[in-house]
Amino acid sequence: MNDWEAVIGLEIHVQLNTKSKLFSSAPNQFGHEPNVNISFADTGQPGALPVINKAAIEKAVLFGLAINAHIPEECHFDRKSYFYPDSPRNFQITQFDEPIIVGGSVAVEIDGEEKVFGIHHAHLEDDAGMLKHFSQFAGVDYNRAGVALVEIVSLPCIHTAKEAALFATEIRSIMQYIDASDCNMEEGSLRIDANVSVRKKGETTLRTKTEIKNMNSFANMELAIDAEILRQIDLYQQGKTVTSGTYRFDLATGATILMRKKETADDYRYFPEPDLPPLFLDKNWIAKLKENLPELPRERKKRYIEKLGLSHYSASLLICDKPLGDIFEKGLSQAKNPVSFCNWLTVEFIGRIKNSRKSVEEFGLDILAIASLSNMVDDKIVTGKVAKQIADLMVENPGKTPEKILEENPAFAAITDCSAIETIVDDVLKKNPESVSDFLNGKEKAFNFLVGQVMKVCQGSAPADIVRDLVRKKISS
Amino acid sequence: MYSLSAKQLSSLVKEGKISAVEVTRYFLKRAEAIDPSVKAFLTLFPEKALAKAHAIDEKIKQGKSVGKLAGVPVAIKDNIHIESELTTCASKFLADYKAPFSATAVRRIEEEDGILLGKTNLDEFAMGSSTETSAFFETRNPWNLSCTPGGSSGGSAAAVASRIAPLSIGSDTGGSIRQPASFCGTFGFKPTYGRISRYGLVAFGSSFDQIGPFANYAEDIALMMDVLAGHCPLDSTSIADSKEDFSASLSQGVENMTIGVPRNLLKELDPSLIDLFNNAINEYVKMGVKVVEIDIPLIKYSIPLYYILAIAEASTNLARFDGILFSKRSTKAKTLKEVYEYSKEEGFGKEVKRRILLGTYVLSAGHQDAYYKKAQKVRRLLIEDFKRIFQTCDAVVLPTVPSAAFELGAIKNPLEMYLQDIYTIFANLAGLPAISMPIGLDKNQKPFGLQISSAQMQDAKVLRLSAALEQQLKLQTCPPLFAKEFS
Repeated sequence: MNDWEAVIGLEIHVQLNTKSKLFSSAPNQFGHEPNVNISFADTGQPGALPVINKAAIEKAVLFGLAINAHIPEECHFDRKSYFYPDSPRNFQITQFDEPIIVGGSVAVEIDGEEKVFGIHHAHLEDDAGMLKHFSQFAGVDYNRAGVALVEIVSLPCIHTAKEAALFATEIRSIMQYIDASDCNMEEGSLRIDANVSVRKKGETTLRTKTEIKNMNSFANMELAIDAEILRQIDLYQQGKTVTSGTYRFDLATGATILMRKKETADDYRYFPEPDLPPLFLDKNWIAKLKENLPELPRERKKRYIEKLGLSHYSASLLICDKPLGDIFEKGLSQAKNPVSFCNWLTVEFIGRIKNSRKSVEEFGLDILAIASLSNMVDDKIVTGKVAKQIADLMVENPGKTPEKILEENPAFAAITDCSAIETIVDDVLKKNPESVSDFLNGKEKAFNFLVGQVMKVCQGSAPADIVRDLVRKKISS
Repeated sequence: MYSLSAKQLSSLVKEGKISAVEVTRYFLKRAEAIDPSVKAFLTLFPEKALAKAHAIDEKIKQGKSVGKLAGVPVAIKDNIHIESELTTCASKFLADYKAPFSATAVRRIEEEDGILLGKTNLDEFAMGSSTETSAFFETRNPWNLSCTPGGSSGGSAAAVASRIAPLSIGSDTGGSIRQPASFCGTFGFKPTYGRISRYGLVAFGSSFDQIGPFANYAEDIALMMDVLAGHCPLDSTSIADSKEDFSASLSQGVENMTIGVPRNLLKELDPSLIDLFNNAINEYVKMGVKVVEIDIPLIKYSIPLYYILAIAEASTNLARFDGILFSKRSTKAKTLKEVYEYSKEEGFGKEVKRRILLGTYVLSAGHQDAYYKKAQKVRRLLIEDFKRIFQTCDAVVLPTVPSAAFELGAIKNPLEMYLQDIYTIFANLAGLPAISMPIGLDKNQKPFGLQISSAQMQDAKVLRLSAALEQQLKLQTCPPLFAKEFS
């Protein structure tokens, strides 16, 4: 088992979030009635012609810049011929041999180590429509037809399912950070095909690969790739061979299932799209885009770790989910202690709303209120323990500020008056003489019991460190 | 009235000397009398045409300004869209296809108050040189009804030649405007690639296709170019506006221009036509034009280049006609595969199928390098060759076709038919403007055309040269059968 290694290449399709489609002015919108967001060009009406959407070019170039790729001054589009009812012209307009983005790489952190993955190229192409099957017939919804896609083709430089997932996650983050796509796998704005082969370690050539399609989450992708790697190794170990084909992942059985065999290479008869002249990109325009490139995930992560002092784990958590990172940024304007604010946001609040499957904002929580709760703990206005109760109430009543909750529950305020705590400590020690003597006889557990008793009476609003000091002092004296 | 130019007609209409309705009625009547024998039209729009004519007259009555084509009937090749009218491309496959939008060329004609008279017959999907591959019927040559009008824009050429319409538009992928213009004794102009928007033209070979006008007078070709030429944002291959006034440029004279004649290509020409050709060249000499002999060796590859590149593009352009969305679905089909197979089998004619198969073949893996890619390279060389020639020549002059119109049914071998385009394809390969203009009749009283072409964007120069020769020759260009009034 250990003498095998997998070789994985990913093809990642990202739907660009441009207002209109790649070659028409029809709106690029998801979730409408069938065939409302279409134009003559999208449905391939004879006589209609494609006109390139400049916004799509810009977003593609931004992505190229973000991965430090080469952006050639000239690229062109090609026709890729195949017959399928969701393809109204029966050819796709794509880029075959002169894509808009050449090379580039992304770095990801794996088990504390940075690894760089190379990208072969990325190209622009238009999306197909969608087939819908009914009991007696099938229909085609062309709303998606013509939507701009960037297809990112990695080098076959990925060796584990985890690496593949992290690579894809980084691509998603970059796309989100440059505002090129929402990369929603469930809605299909991010689609990944994985090409997987295995070989004995030390081998320099690639063995037969298979393709896995239709993986609708990063988690499933990891499972699917792992399953496929094992399937292939198993075949070789039984003395059999791997045959080329397209597989899908079945979550129920955890296995990859053959969809169709690939006996011969598909012949797509690529040739340059005569309806679109070659695309020339102005160097100055590219330079300007580069200057105005927004903060990228790896830059933000570096800032979080080096400037804010967040852990690698927390920083990764925030950058992987762009909307979450963005609200964290918003809260930073208020939060006095970024580390504890990050903890309140990512552990306490996200943990509390996880089951709703909603984001913090969708849930109706105000990030500034979360920042202010974090500040209240930092300023010792409430204890951490009480703050958790306040957090519960904030989640129960979205929109309610921690200040308001504190006002309604005066008992939540931290007891900062030592004499008040002293009274309680005296009372507890008097009521538990056995524990006092146990402690004096060296039983540390008894000490904890006594502190607990005090905290119980205070209902958590006494700072634990003060209580501990007082208990120790009183017993000793 | 039939012998008036479109320019004269529109002036009379603008001046109120004749109404647009009278003009329209007159040509509709000619259509009624002539078209049963010529069969140029697939559809006529008598009601719509008259309604538009009324509207123009109303505008004139109210003193409002009217367009350049005020009241002039224009016929449209049936592969160019007029919104909500049929665009059949003379194919059974599209027999019921109604265009969802108007071509930019059609819109411009309407904006200039031209009157859309009807849609004209063509070879199916513009694939042919005789209008015989039309799935509906053959069109006849107005000079000799047993002959072909040429093709693929045979209907548009015949409509103008027989004076059913003073103007028409066609499309030219390898000679489909110029060859029928030569056969029918009219002017037919293929402008510089990108000059007229292709938006709304059903594509054949996208990098070759160009819409262009037919007319009986050079000034009418210029008038149509003033209307049709211009940048169109809906066609990415459309070129920027040049603000040329084609009509005004006609009178600028041709003295001291240089024309190149590739004499060694004339060996393909029917020997009985050589005198007509030489006579035309001599007329230029008389006008002070310098004539030089030139050599364009790569022209001999025109036909193979065309039948690789244009049909490669065509095989993908026609892939959308599959019985799914807008072409007729076979009623026999039960499965998806059958929808594709039976619908194409029933929908496409023989020539179209042949070209789709050839186009698919030259693009397929294993053949692409030998055919498509090599042809692309030679195309680039040919373009360079012409650039070189136009550094010293204002124009290249050739016969339009190697022969006069042939009898319907006479050419059975497709390869022989392809040779019809031997003199015209280079202009499509290199994107050059080229006109065919009548220069006389052969011994069988069939017209014959001269082709004048120039560098890209030199459309006006081509028109100037043709207008000068027209004035010099002073030919009677109306076919005798129809040089009369019909009442």
